[in-house]
Amino acid sequence: MPTPYEPAASRAWAASEPPRPVVTRPPLVRSRTAGWTPGVCDAVARHLGVSRRLVRAAFVVLALSGGAGVAAYLFLWALTSESEDVAPAGSARGWSERRRSALLLLGGGVAVVVGLALLVPGLGVSLRGSGILPVLVIAVGAVVAWSTLDEAQRSRWLTGRPGGMTWVRIALGGGLALLGILVLMTRGRSISVVWDAMLAALSVLVGALIIAAPWAVRLWSDFRREQVAAARATERADIAAHLHDSVLQTLALIQRQADDGQAVTRLARAQERELRTWLYDGPQGSQQSLAAAVTEVAHEVEDLHGVPVDLVVTGDRPFEQHGAALSRALREALLNAVRHAAPPVTAYVEIGPHGVEAFVRDRGAGFDLETVPDDRLGVRQSVLGRMERHGGSARVRRRDDGTEVELRLPPLEGEQS
Amino acid sequence: MTTTPAPAPSSGPVRVVLVDDHRMFRTGVRAELTEAMAGGAPVCEFVGEAPDVDSAIAVIRRETPDVVLLDVHLPGGSGNGGGDVIRGCAGVETASGAPVRFLALSVSDAAEDVIAVIRAGARGYVTKTINARDLVTAIRRVADGDAVFSPRLAGFVLDAFGAAAGEIAEVDEELDRLSAREREVMRLIARGFQYKEVAKELFISVKTVETHVSSVLRKLQLSSRHELTAWAMGRRLV
Repeated sequence: MPTPYEPAASRAWAASEPPRPVVTRPPLVRSRTAGWTPGVCDAVARHLGVSRRLVRAAFVVLALSGGAGVAAYLFLWALTSESEDVAPAGSARGWSERRRSALLLLGGGVAVVVGLALLVPGLGVSLRGSGILPVLVIAVGAVVAWSTLDEAQRSRWLTGRPGGMTWVRIALGGGLALLGILVLMTRGRSISVVWDAMLAALSVLVGALIIAAPWAVRLWSDFRREQVAAARATERADIAAHLHDSVLQTLALIQRQADDGQAVTRLARAQERELRTWLYDGPQGSQQSLAAAVTEVAHEVEDLHGVPVDLVVTGDRPFEQHGAALSRALREALLNAVRHAAPPVTAYVEIGPHGVEAFVRDRGAGFDLETVPDDRLGVRQSVLGRMERHGGSARVRRRDDGTEVELRLPPLEGEQS
Repeated sequence: MTTTPAPAPSSGPVRVVLVDDHRMFRTGVRAELTEAMAGGAPVCEFVGEAPDVDSAIAVIRRETPDVVLLDVHLPGGSGNGGGDVIRGCAGVETASGAPVRFLALSVSDAAEDVIAVIRAGARGYVTKTINARDLVTAIRRVADGDAVFSPRLAGFVLDAFGAAAGEIAEVDEELDRLSAREREVMRLIARGFQYKEVAKELFISVKTVETHVSSVLRKLQLSSRHELTAWAMGRRLV
């Protein structure tokens, strides 16, 4: 008698897959993503290097000739481990997960109906005397409950709480198994005996739980403690590795270049910034946000010329082509400031719903746009021209003790202005 | 934050206590400040130093200085570094009856550090990369009861009060938002303007600028804006 889990050799979608040639013998590991079956046949086929169809046919033949195939299948299912990363030949993961749970629910539902029919002889189904169906119900219930404890799921359990689906499956499976056992034990006896037996079974279960609970709790807390310790050790190793790669190397460089004041300043500044970013900001991609992009630009200019740039950014917005233009114009303005003016160079970028405003301020002698010689088209072209092409504006202001370049961009499309 | 000459002392040198857990840094600051003041009248005078929270509180209570240069991260106390020192010295007054004032000095740009020490009561926040001349100016200003905002602190304020986002109508608590003028002052400071440059730009007096900055500082310390309280909560300050 085939269970719902007996792989059917005649599945069209499986049959359409070509057998995979295998050179070295892969381990006997079931794939989580193989389909809606536990993947035993697939694993055996992969391990032996034969066609999956052949394996399936063999199992069916064995199952029909005395049930040996069923036993072997269940045995292999219980004892082979499961792997997430063995690439299945075929279906996508989400699809197979859904099919698998849908099938499990269906099987459970069928089993419930059968179980109820067993308990209600009034339906005219006189299966009460037979032992096959209760055993089947037990088996199905156990399978449903066990399937939630597959290797991959167990690890998910430990990291997070089991989802609603898992609870449904456990309850269903456990209930079915209990029901089957009761029916089997009380065959041909009255309902009150069944009730007594149920109470007895329940009390045994509760007793076992009470006895096992302290052990379980201790095991669990041990496990958590080990996990935390391992995480800490990893973190520490990460920090040590990072300090070695960055700070220690820079200190060595500084010692060797101790005579060159500017180089030392530049190294120290770059290292300080790098460490600061690592400590306080965490990794961030410069291509994601405008704030990150302008920060990167300021750092780059600082590194190129060894002149500190004090950058303050408020607000943020996604990085797009106008923002890219602004950050390039900002770079040009900063380069001008560090090349031709005295430090410190300060930059302020305000990103808000009314657009973006950026200010670069230096303490140099300043320059007049009208008097800028032709060979210094940097400002006129790459700052002013660029901002205007992107719907913004730029202005150079001369102050008492320096120059201020002002860049403006309108807000992004779709945002309020 | 640079080339302003140190203002002349108004009433003798400012008495300063330096609190930092790095001996090298304490020595460095003393040497630099002494050098920066060489030639002119001494603006400040070091009356003590301390490497941790408990000895800092002891020194400050004994010396009652005008200004305490305070590192944000310090060993000892209940683990809140500079904030513990400020709370431990609450109510301590100088000989002239003014409260002891704190200027936070830190390597950290992290928002929660800045906000934590300001909310504990510091009158200003500068980073340790500040040059000596600016530091002298800042000490003088704090001694006079004004607030010292670095461009970065001004940036934090604009971020925290949502001023950069132009969000004004949404909050009705007066403490929880900046006035238009305060916002302008903050923006100019964030752009790297000195107080006197701010004054010139806005056609107001330096004293008015100082008043605005002090008012922002008060809001920063007392506001119950969500962002600020979230930062403070994270460090168990409220």
